[in-house]
Amino acid sequence: MTFSQQKRASYWLLLSPGLLLFSAVIVFPVVFSFSLSFTTWSGYGFPKFMGFANYTKILADPIFQHSLRNNLLIVAISVFGQIPLGFLLAFMLHRRMVKGGEFYQTMIFLPITISPVVVALLWNQIFSASGLITAIVRRIYDDPRYVMTIFENRNLAILPILFVLLWMHTGTYMIIYLANLQKITPSVLEAAQIDGASESQMLGRIILPSMIGTIATTAILAISGSLKAFDLIFAMTGGGPAHFTEVIALYMYTNTFKYYKYGYGSAVSILIVLLAVGLILILQTISRRIERNYE
Amino acid sequence: MTRNVTIWKILSYLIMITFTLLTILPLIWMFLNALKPHALIVRNPLMPPVSFYVLNFVRSWTQGHLGVYFSNSIFYSMVSTLITVFIAMGSGYALSKFSYRSSRVIYMFYTLGLLITVHSVIVPLFIMETKLGMANTRLGVIIPYIAFGLPFQIFLATTYIKGIPDAMQESAIIDGATFLQVFRKIILPVATPIISTMFIYTFLGNWNEFILVQTLTSDISIRSLPVGINSFAGGMSRDYGLQFAALTIGTVPMVIFYLIFRDKIAQGFAAGATKE
Repeated sequence: MTFSQQKRASYWLLLSPGLLLFSAVIVFPVVFSFSLSFTTWSGYGFPKFMGFANYTKILADPIFQHSLRNNLLIVAISVFGQIPLGFLLAFMLHRRMVKGGEFYQTMIFLPITISPVVVALLWNQIFSASGLITAIVRRIYDDPRYVMTIFENRNLAILPILFVLLWMHTGTYMIIYLANLQKITPSVLEAAQIDGASESQMLGRIILPSMIGTIATTAILAISGSLKAFDLIFAMTGGGPAHFTEVIALYMYTNTFKYYKYGYGSAVSILIVLLAVGLILILQTISRRIERNYE
Repeated sequence: MTRNVTIWKILSYLIMITFTLLTILPLIWMFLNALKPHALIVRNPLMPPVSFYVLNFVRSWTQGHLGVYFSNSIFYSMVSTLITVFIAMGSGYALSKFSYRSSRVIYMFYTLGLLITVHSVIVPLFIMETKLGMANTRLGVIIPYIAFGLPFQIFLATTYIKGIPDAMQESAIIDGATFLQVFRKIILPVATPIISTMFIYTFLGNWNEFILVQTLTSDISIRSLPVGINSFAGGMSRDYGLQFAALTIGTVPMVIFYLIFRDKIAQGFAAGATKE
């Protein structure tokens, strides 16, 4: 075997297991899903071609619309809640504004290791009608008949879930920003400090502008993560009561594995991908515009 | 100026302490309630345990088959993580040091894979595995675990191996080593820091994975811990003591794992959003 043959053979040998698995488990199913989304199929017989019927039916379904609204709220809490809070925490730790920063950092990042299912059941015990908040409110107001009923309100039922998502993920963003803040040359900040810049000025004029790229990247992570929010909600409420806390991924799951509407479910999952790509494109346009303003 | 700093300090302590309490208090509360029998939890969830009702742990472990789930979780996480990291390192080496034109295309292909979530392929995956007779088998869980781990791990491996100087490889090649020997004897040893980060990050993800096992398996004997713990929520039992005990059993090993490997886990998360 010549040298270049040996090189080429090694190259493909190293790549082939990954390519094989990736194509079989991800690429092929995506293509499969895309084709199924134009059909109606219950798992038996041959799929029947339907054109865009699944898509128009999904978009007209009030349950889907409510799921979409919930998903957009989850995107909003990630982008406008977890990201700014995570950034603020990282900034405070980086500027050493508290003693024992290491301790706080360890504690705030901790939820990342706990399985979403465990988190869901734990917070359910807190928010449920017979849970912790009910008990605390009864104690404080001395009203033994008080019951936590937030899940019974169609518009508010999603709030506890948003809170738990904030609880789970803010630490992750803090860690990401902290790692990137350490890349800013310390002498730049020291010089600013000597020139009399306040912490707020340093934050606004030096730190934020140099972190725009990172913030945009984390926002992409947040959006794609938000649209796949599933495990937590599945275990916490299952989308109920009466679809109040339904999200798109859950809607897809129910239609596919409970009602055996494979074509319909596939169309929903294609919509999830399209929505993610759409939101990310919007985000990139915005962040590019901001970056240009700073240059 | 000093007043400004003081305000920031007060604000910092306030926020740090609030976040820390919000993290720890629910976990402590969970642990305390795990030591109380169901009746006491229902009567007053705030009251600390009067005695250590360890029976909750015994019963949730046996009735909930947590032993089986636990060993399955270890098996799935270990096996698929090992294979994922090994394949990702091989791919990372091929994509960063061979300078073939196809490398860029393949790398982009994997980057796009980062956008695809489990949910968008779970329907066809379930159909495929059912037709192939792989549904409800251990292999049917491990293969998707590996495939979904690959895009991000290949990204980490490629970035890291790119940073290893070419000179190391070249001198070995001149001395007559094959590329596979270079991979085994030079790349893998030099890349141990990233390998451990990749390993711990992937392990964590696999350990907490839920939806794949939930949809692709149905036998208790091959399901994993998150699915097992979830069964405490609804049908199986309405005993809150058992539920809190199961939650504690699911949490404690992960908190220990976290306290040991915190830096590695943080590196894995940070690497995903780091600009070169």
